[in-house]
Formats: sequence, structure tokens, C-alpha cells
Amino acid sequence: MTAILELKNVTKRYGGDTALDGLSVTLEANEYISLLGPSGSGKSTLLRVIAGFEKPDAGEVLLEGRSLAQVPAYRRGIGFVSQGFALFPHLSVFENVAFGLRNREDDPLQDAAELRRRVDEMLALVGLSDLGERGIDQISGGQKQRVALARTLVADPKIILLDEPLGALDANLRARMRVELRRIRQQLGITFMHVTGNEEEALAMGDRVAVLDSGRLAQISDPDSVYNRPQSARVAKFLNCYNMFEGRRDEGGAFHAGVSSFACSPGAAAAGVYCVRFDKIRVVPLQGLSEDGGTGVRATFITSEYAGPRITYFFRGADGKVLEVEYHLSHRRPDEFAVGGDYWLSWSPDEALVYFQ
Amino acid sequence: MENRPFLRSALAFYTALFIGFLYAPFVVLGILSFQAGPEGGPQFPITEWSTYWYEHIFGLTPPSRIAPLPIGEAMIRSLTLAFMTMVTSTVLGTMTAQAFRRRFKGSGFVFYLVVLGMIVPGVLVGLGLALVANNLGISRAWWGTAYVAHVLYTFPFAFLVMLAIFNRFDRSVEEAAWSLGVTPMRTFRKVTFPLIFPGVLSSMLFAFTLSYDEFPRTLFAAGADLTLPLAIYGTFSVEIHPNIFAFGVLTTLFSFSILAVYGILMSLSVRRAKKAAIQEDIQ
Repeated sequence: MTAILELKNVTKRYGGDTALDGLSVTLEANEYISLLGPSGSGKSTLLRVIAGFEKPDAGEVLLEGRSLAQVPAYRRGIGFVSQGFALFPHLSVFENVAFGLRNREDDPLQDAAELRRRVDEMLALVGLSDLGERGIDQISGGQKQRVALARTLVADPKIILLDEPLGALDANLRARMRVELRRIRQQLGITFMHVTGNEEEALAMGDRVAVLDSGRLAQISDPDSVYNRPQSARVAKFLNCYNMFEGRRDEGGAFHAGVSSFACSPGAAAAGVYCVRFDKIRVVPLQGLSEDGGTGVRATFITSEYAGPRITYFFRGADGKVLEVEYHLSHRRPDEFAVGGDYWLSWSPDEALVYFQ
Repeated sequence: MENRPFLRSALAFYTALFIGFLYAPFVVLGILSFQAGPEGGPQFPITEWSTYWYEHIFGLTPPSRIAPLPIGEAMIRSLTLAFMTMVTSTVLGTMTAQAFRRRFKGSGFVFYLVVLGMIVPGVLVGLGLALVANNLGISRAWWGTAYVAHVLYTFPFAFLVMLAIFNRFDRSVEEAAWSLGVTPMRTFRKVTFPLIFPGVLSSMLFAFTLSYDEFPRTLFAAGADLTLPLAIYGTFSVEIHPNIFAFGVLTTLFSFSILAVYGILMSLSVRRAKKAAIQEDIQ
């Protein structure tokens, strides 16, 4: 694996706000990296700096070892697919895809037959072969997405940056486009950088997942590590699948969060965050409970949400905090809980992740 | 609304009054242009309906004591000047508005500097320009000093129109073009310009019409050869005849027919787009 793109200590400010705060990251050739972060974490700014639409205030961007500081956006060879697709509304689907080949500064393609061959080939790749003559306002959102992708791919860029490319699509279409993107990428072998605010999308798409927090890289590793071993409480929070308790560990190895306390690995006293994944929790009725229910917390059942393969139960803890429990339904039936009834949410202390400040 | 008859009739009355004031001058002008000639004057009653004054404009009537309107050359001058002004102001306005898409140092100051041209009273600008030209030894002419005055006046309008257009312009399509390896110059030509073209068109119309009937600035800056508004005003100082009205009707009809052609073309293209959309639905 060779590094294709390298960012060194990139900082970008807008007025008083720091969008990127000394960010360093390396992209390998032919890698699919997904960039996860809440809105305002600087992920779009990062893409815009790489594409050359924004100049960093400090730091360096290197493409294949060459600094891009003096290279304008149109000479970088970096493809960019923006959230709203940014198709040319005055051109047909075919002309949108042909635009780059026809008008690029470097070796514009004049031969009409060759142009048609390459555009048709690309339209076929994204499954739009028979829509070439349509106007942009005559195709659906998913088709627009494909046109935007085809338009970028046909220019043969070294890297493609995708800024929340699936955000504007409905859930069904989003799932299909994910598969499509992966297939296209396997066929072409280009480096992709995919920005998203959706943790599932980030985990599903990325060879590696980079988690961005307030302009800094909070974690970058394979999806499994990000999901199962988030490096910080912030990362765990973005994954949106952990119940989190703020509190303190005492010398005896107990973690106190409000009125509850949990078993925890022993160590020096420190403030921290105790995290338990939604699907690691078991719900036990209070009646059948022996004296000590094990590590857990008493909570009141509020409601449930059925999502086919899984069901999420919502409970309210003693301190009013909403806790979520997720059951995967592939090998079991959903449980029925009494609304307003008290239960014991129990988990094995080994499954908990504790982060100390 | 329906159970407030008073409000309804009050609003109806107001609307009627509004439309009346808006169009009454034109209706009066139209009626009086059909006054009998050459004895009939520019007032009611109509002594006899005739098209005498229309014929008079084109020199089709037998010679009489009333001289034909001295407008032929003046009209060509005005059209030429309006065209020159339109091109210059629209180009300048578009370029300036393009510059204002990014905040630059002193952009606030430059903005007011540009807009000043339409705020300062026209008579003062015209007079000032004439004085400056005299002091510098530049002779005044409709294609020189008056042209400068017209651009000064219409440029802010063109600029403001284009500023509004660029405000609503989605810059991500330009970025998309850049990321495809297309230079900013070519991107402007192939993407930006086609998309802002409706705005450019209205800015051109603005500049043209403002220049075509500009009076106060031209009065001092035009020099010896008169533009159309000056020439028409010149005839007032002697005596007003209905031939002016006939001329007014003709120019208005000319404007209307251009607008009508524009409207027909627009509705045709809209209908074509709708037809295409309906066919999509059927498929």
C-alpha cells in the first residue's frame, strides 16, 4: 500500500471558529475511507480543503508526495461529488457526463465518436444507459446521484471525495446506492473518501473509518475496531449505540454514576464515562431477581421500536436518563414489557467500556 | 373576506383608482393622437377622428405650417447610445457582481461607490460632467460625455440585478466543473454564464430602457447633437401638437410587440418542457 494523499497538521478557521484543528491523516491508494462526524465536526471543510475549494490556514496537503499548496482545484485531478449533486441544470444527462472530457484544460477530448464511447460506457457502469438524452429535471434523486458519480468517474480522478452522497436519498435507495458504490469502486480501483454523518453508512462503506471530532481526528481504524473498541467516549457517542454514564471510579473498583454504581476494573480513583452497548444488555423482571442482580441499573420501561431484524426498548433510569436496549431477533422472539413497569437492566462488566479523563 | 362587503368594495375601488392613474395618461395620449389635423390641438374635444398625425410623422401629409418632428436622426442616436450603454453596463455590472461574490477588503466601500451613480441627482451629475469636460477641454458629445453619464447611471442597476442573481446562484456547480479539470474561465463561459443568462437579459433591458429615455444627465452632457428625449422636449418649447402623441403610441406599440414576441417564445418553450414531462409520466 502506498500513500496517495497525506494531510499534515491542516488547520482551517472561519472567523473565530476552528473547523480543522491541526489534522493529520494519510490515505492509501485504492482505499475506501469513510469519514464520520457530527455536523460541525469539520468533515465537509476537510473535503473542501483537499479538493482545493478552500485554502488551509496552516499545514500541508500532499498528493502523491507533491504539495498542493500552489495547485488550484482544476489542476488537482481530485473528483468531488457534493451533497446536492451539483449537476449542470442546463445540460442533458449525457452532456453532464461529457462536460469534463470536453472542456478540461488538460487534453480536452474533441473526437465525437470517442467521447460518445466513453460517456456511454460510464452511463452503462452506473446503470443509466437509456437516460442519456433526458434533462436533469426529468430524472429521480437516485438517478441524479448516479449522474454525479458518472460525471466524476469519467474524468478518471486519482481520488474521489464524496460529501454525504447518500444524504439526499430515501432509506431504500440509500441501501441500494451503497451496494452500487462498492461495486463501482471494485471495478475501477480508485481511492474514495466518503463523508457521512450516519454511523451505519460509515461502518458499512469504509475499509477504514475515520472519526472526526471538533476538527481533530478522534480515531481512525477498521470498522470493527471503531464499533467494538472506540478509542474515546466521544467516538462511542457518535456511534449512537452506547448507553453512557458519567461518573467516578473509587479505589475499590466501583464506578459511581448518580445513584447507580457498577462493577469496573480496579485502579486509581478518577472521573470518567462508563459505556454499555445497547445490544449487550439483558432485561430482567424485578420479581424474579435474587438479592443482587449483578451489574446493572433499575429502570422503567417506556416504549419499544420494532425494526424487523431487531427491536429497541426504551427505558428511563432513576436519574431520568433514557436508556436503550437492543435485541437482535434472528434467534429469538421480541419480549413484552409492561409500560411503566420497573425492570433491572443487567450486563456483564467485561462488556462495559470505561473511559477516564 | 366574503363576509366583509365594505372591505371588499373599498379594495375594489382602490384597485380601480390605482389602475386608472397607471393607465389614464396612456389612454388620453392614445385618444388624442387621433385628433384631426392640422388644425386640431392636443386637447379635448376631438374635433374629428383621423390618422392625420400618424401620416404626419412619416411625412405623408401635404406640407403645412407644422414642421415634421425632428426625430429621425435623434432616434438613431438614442438607439445607438442605448445599445452602447446596455453592453457596457451589463458587462461591467456582471463583472462587478462576480467580484462581490467573495467578500474582499473594502467591498462595503466599493459597493456604495458603485450605487452612488444611481443615487446622486441626475441634473447635478450632468452639469458636473459638463463642467469637468469643459475644464479638461473635452468637447461634449452624445457618444462621449453623455455615454459616460449613461453608463454611470445604468451600471448600478445592472450591478444590483446581477448581485441578486448571484445571491441565488449555487456555486457548487462551478466547483463541480473545476473538480473535473475545467479552468475557471471556461467554467464561467460554459456553466456560470448560461445559468445567469436570464439575469443578464433583464440587466440588459434595464440598462437599455433607462438610457433610451434618460433626460437630466443627457441635457447637459450631450452637446450639440440631441438624443430623442431632448429632441422631443425641444419641440414642446414651441408648441405641442398631437404628432407627439402619435409618436408615443407608436413607440409603445413597438415595445409591446417585442414583449409579445418574448412572451410567445417563453410560453412555447414552457409548453415543450411540459409535453416532455407528460411523456415521461406515460412511459
